[in-house]
Amino acid sequence: MNSVKSILSIVLIAGFVAAFTGCSENEDPLPVVATTFTNLAADPGTGFNPSNGQPTGLTRQFTFFSFKTGDIVAHADSATNKWDLGFNGTTIIVNSATSGLGTSQAQIVSGIFDELAIAPTDGYKSDNDVAPIAGAPNANLAIPTGSGQGWYTYDGVNMVNKPTAGKIIVVKTSEGRYAKMEILSYYKDAPANPTFNNTARYYTFRYVYQPNETTSFN
Amino acid sequence: MANLIFASVNQLSSLKLSLTIILGLFSLSSYGQDIEGDTLKSKELEAVVITATRNERTMGALPMPVSLIAKDQIKSMGSLRLNDVLTEQTGLVVVPQINAQGNGIQIQGFNPDYTLILIDGEPLIGRYTGSLELSRIAVGNIKQIEIVKGPSSSLYGSDALAGVINIITDRPQGTRVNAAIRYGTNNTLDVNGDIGFTKKKLGVYVFGNRYHTDGYDLSPQNFGKTVSPFTNYTLNSKITYKFSPLTDISLAGRFFNEDQVFNFEVESNGSRIRTSGNGNTRDWNFNPVLTHRFSDKFKAIARFYSTHYQTETYLNLETDGSRYYEDDFKQSFTRPELNTEYFFNDRNILSLGGGYISEMVQTSRYGDEEKRYQGTSYGFFQHEWLPVEKLSVIVGGRYDYNTIYGGQFSPKLSSRFELNKKVTFKVSGGVGFKAPDFRQLYFNFNNSAAGGYSVLGTEVAVDRLAELEAAGQIQTYLFDPAQLGNLQAERSMSINAGANVEILPSLKMDLNVFHNSINNLIETQAVAITTSGQSIYSYRNILRAYTQGLESNFSYPVGRFLNLSVGYQLLYAKDKDVVEAVKAGDVYWRDPNTLVTKRLKPSEYFGLYTRSRNMGNFKVFYSHKPSGWEGSVRVIYRGKYGIGNIRGNIQGEVIPPSDTNSNSILDVYDDFVKGYALVNISVAKTVKNAVRFQMGIDNLFDYTEPVLIPNLPGRLYYGSVSYSFSKKNVKP
Repeated sequence: MNSVKSILSIVLIAGFVAAFTGCSENEDPLPVVATTFTNLAADPGTGFNPSNGQPTGLTRQFTFFSFKTGDIVAHADSATNKWDLGFNGTTIIVNSATSGLGTSQAQIVSGIFDELAIAPTDGYKSDNDVAPIAGAPNANLAIPTGSGQGWYTYDGVNMVNKPTAGKIIVVKTSEGRYAKMEILSYYKDAPANPTFNNTARYYTFRYVYQPNETTSFN
Repeated sequence: MANLIFASVNQLSSLKLSLTIILGLFSLSSYGQDIEGDTLKSKELEAVVITATRNERTMGALPMPVSLIAKDQIKSMGSLRLNDVLTEQTGLVVVPQINAQGNGIQIQGFNPDYTLILIDGEPLIGRYTGSLELSRIAVGNIKQIEIVKGPSSSLYGSDALAGVINIITDRPQGTRVNAAIRYGTNNTLDVNGDIGFTKKKLGVYVFGNRYHTDGYDLSPQNFGKTVSPFTNYTLNSKITYKFSPLTDISLAGRFFNEDQVFNFEVESNGSRIRTSGNGNTRDWNFNPVLTHRFSDKFKAIARFYSTHYQTETYLNLETDGSRYYEDDFKQSFTRPELNTEYFFNDRNILSLGGGYISEMVQTSRYGDEEKRYQGTSYGFFQHEWLPVEKLSVIVGGRYDYNTIYGGQFSPKLSSRFELNKKVTFKVSGGVGFKAPDFRQLYFNFNNSAAGGYSVLGTEVAVDRLAELEAAGQIQTYLFDPAQLGNLQAERSMSINAGANVEILPSLKMDLNVFHNSINNLIETQAVAITTSGQSIYSYRNILRAYTQGLESNFSYPVGRFLNLSVGYQLLYAKDKDVVEAVKAGDVYWRDPNTLVTKRLKPSEYFGLYTRSRNMGNFKVFYSHKPSGWEGSVRVIYRGKYGIGNIRGNIQGEVIPPSDTNSNSILDVYDDFVKGYALVNISVAKTVKNAVRFQMGIDNLFDYTEPVLIPNLPGRLYYGSVSYSFSKKNVKP
C-alpha cells in the first residue's frame, strides 16, 4: 500500500515538474532569492528532566523539509521523495539510501553563503556513503554529526550548540535541483547569545533554492 | 593554594601554550646591591648568577637573557610568596589555572607547564595538573631569584622551553639571626625566622615560616570563598662542612605542609549543592652536594636530590556528610648527578655532566592506586670559549633518553659581543623540549563533578575504549581510536637576540627580541561520546604554534637614593594552523546579532588565549641608607587578553569564554578581559641597622574581576616588623 502511494506521488511530482519547467521555457528565469526559515522544530520535546538536563517527551521523529515548497513536509510523507532534509536534534538526514526513498544528496562546504554562486558538481554524498565507524550509528551520514564534525560546535561553558561560522550545506535534491543553506541558530527565535536556558532544537536557517536545471545560485 | 575548581580538560589544552616576554632587570639588581653597604658604592660588585651555565658567572658576561631579583628588592616589595615577587617582573605573568591547581607563571607566552622551576638548581615537582603552585615557596630565605629566558634544555632537560627560574636560598655565612612578623588584610599572618652560624669548618643555617590567610571572597553573594583559608609551614635547613680547602659538602633539606579548608557549592544534575572538605599538600626534599677540586683546573660536583610531593583533597555533602569528591596525587623524583668543570686556560672552560632520573606518580585519577615509573638517563656538555677579549661563545647540548618517549637531543649556541663600553650584543639559539607527562600517558579520570566527562591517557585509551564499547556505552566515535599513537615530546626552537646599551651615563636599556617555534604540542582530542552524552577525551601531538615579541627594560638611577625603571613586553602568540587557515581564507566569524557570516582577515586573528599583546611596569625605588628610610611605588600593567572555553566555575559562576562568534578562535570581534594596572606601594624604616618597620598597600585602587581574574585579591594592607642581626666572621 505504502509503496503504491509513493510510486503514485513520484508520478504526480514528475508530472508537475514537467509542467512547471514547460511553462518557464519562454521566460527569463527569475533570480533566486535567499529565504530565512525560522524555528523549524526538530523534535523539541515537552520539557526537561531536572535530574539530568535531558529533554523529555521526545517523539524520536524527524521533521522533514522541502526546499522546493519552502516548507515542512508532513510526517505521513516520510516514505516519499517529497522532502530533502530531515531534522531531529542535531542530526540532519538527507532523503536517500539508509534514510529515505529519494535520491537527495548533500555535502558541507566552507565559505561565505552569499559568495557561493555555483553549486559544486561533485562531492555529494547519500546517507550511506561514508564508511561507518564501529559503534557509531550516525557516522555515515552525508552531514556528519558531532561537535566540530559537521555544522555545529559545542560550547561547553554555556552548554549550547553553535552553528560553526562558514559552513554551508549544499543539497542536490531528488529532482536534481540544487539548494544551499546556512544554519544560523539551534535555539528558538535565534537569540544573539544563547545559553542553557534557551529552548533548543529549533532551527533557523537561510537557504537559496534553484528551481531550474542549473548549478547557479544567482 | 588551590583555588580548587574541578578540572576540565578543555582548559588545560587551550591554555597549553602561553607566551610572554621577559625583560631583564639587570639594572635593578645592581641597584639592589648598592644597599648592602656604603662601602660597596665605590667598588660596585657585579652580580653572579649560576643558572645560565650551571657555574658561577658574572651576569653581565653571559650571552643569554638573564635577570636577577635580589633579596633587598624582595624585601623592599614586602613580598611573602614567590608569586608576589614574580608577578611584578617584566614579561612574567602569573596566570590563574582555573581548572588546574594553582597559579603558574607565563614566560614569553608559554604556559606555566613550560617553565622549569628550580630550588638551588634542583627541580620543584608537583605539577599535579600541569603548573606548579608558586605560593608553595616562601621568600624569607631567598638570596636571589635568577631567571633565564629562552630554552635551557641543553643544560636542564625537559620542561625548560620558556625558561628557567632558579631560586637560590641562603647559605651559612657568618653568624646571623633574623625574625619577622607581618600581618595584613584577610587575617594574613606570616611569621618567619632564621638562624645561622659558621664555626671553623662547619656552617649551619635553618629557616622556618608559618603562613596563614583566611583567603578572600570576591563574590560574597555566592557560597564559599574565591580562595579558601589555608595555613602552611616551611622548614629549610642547610649544613655545610669543609673537609679541606679542596673538598666541601653541603646538605640541604626542605619540608612543607599546607592545610586548606574548603566550602564549595557544586552543580550536580542541574541543582546546586553545598560541600565542605579539606585539602592537604606536602613536599619534602633532601639534597647533598659534594664538591672537590682535583686541581686549579679541574673541579667535580656530585649531587644527589630526592624529593616527594603529595596532595589530597576531599569534599563531603553538607546535607548528609557523605563523600562527594576525592582526589589524591603523589609524586617522587630522585636524581644522582655528576658535573665536572675543566679550565683549559682563561679562554676555554669545558663542563661535562650526566645523571639518572627516576620518577614515580601514584594517583586515583589513573583509575587505580598503582605506581607508575619512568626513568631518564642523560648527559650534557658545555664549552665556554673566548676567542678574543670582546667576544664570547657558549656551545652546549644534552641528550636525554627516557624509557617512554625515547631520546631527545637539545643543543644550544650563545654568543656575546662587546662593541664598546656602552653597547653589548647577545644572541642565542637553542632547542627546548617537554616530555609527555604522566597525566597525558596514564589518565583514567572520570569527572562527574563538572558536568561529566572522561579523560584517558594515550597508554590506556585504546583498552579502556574497547571496554566501554563492549559494555555498549559508546554512542559515537568522534575520532578513530587506532590513530591515538605514542605521544612524542613537545619541542621548541628558539632565538633570542638583544643588546644592553648605556644610553646616557647610568641610563641603561636592555632589549631582547625573541621567537619560539613550537611543534608537536599535545592537545586534548575529543574521541567519543558515551550513551549518556558525556565526552571522552584523550591526547594527541597536534598543535603547532609560535610566540614572538620583544622585551625592553630601562633603568635610571636619579641621584644616589632613587631608582626609576620601566619595563615593556610586546607579544604575539599564535596557532600556526589557524594562521595558515586564516591566510587561506578558510576562517569565518558570525556576527551574533545580525547572524551574518564574514571571512576573517589575517589582521583580525588575535592569537592564543590568556596572552596579552602588551604588558609593562613602572617602578620607583627609594633607599636612603643614612636615615634608614626606604620606599617603593610599583605600577604593573597587563593588556587585554582572551579566555578559552573553560569548563569550570568560580564560586558557582561560569567563566564566559571570549569567543562569541562561532569560530572557536580568538579574533578582534570577540569579548576580551579588559587590560588593567595595579599599583603597589610600600614604605620602610630601619632603626639602628637591626629593627625594620614596614607598611604597604598592594592593589591600591582595589581592582578586581571576580570571575575572570580570580587570583587577583582586592586591596591588601599590611604592616611588618623584623629584627636582624649579623656578624661576619673574621677570616682566620
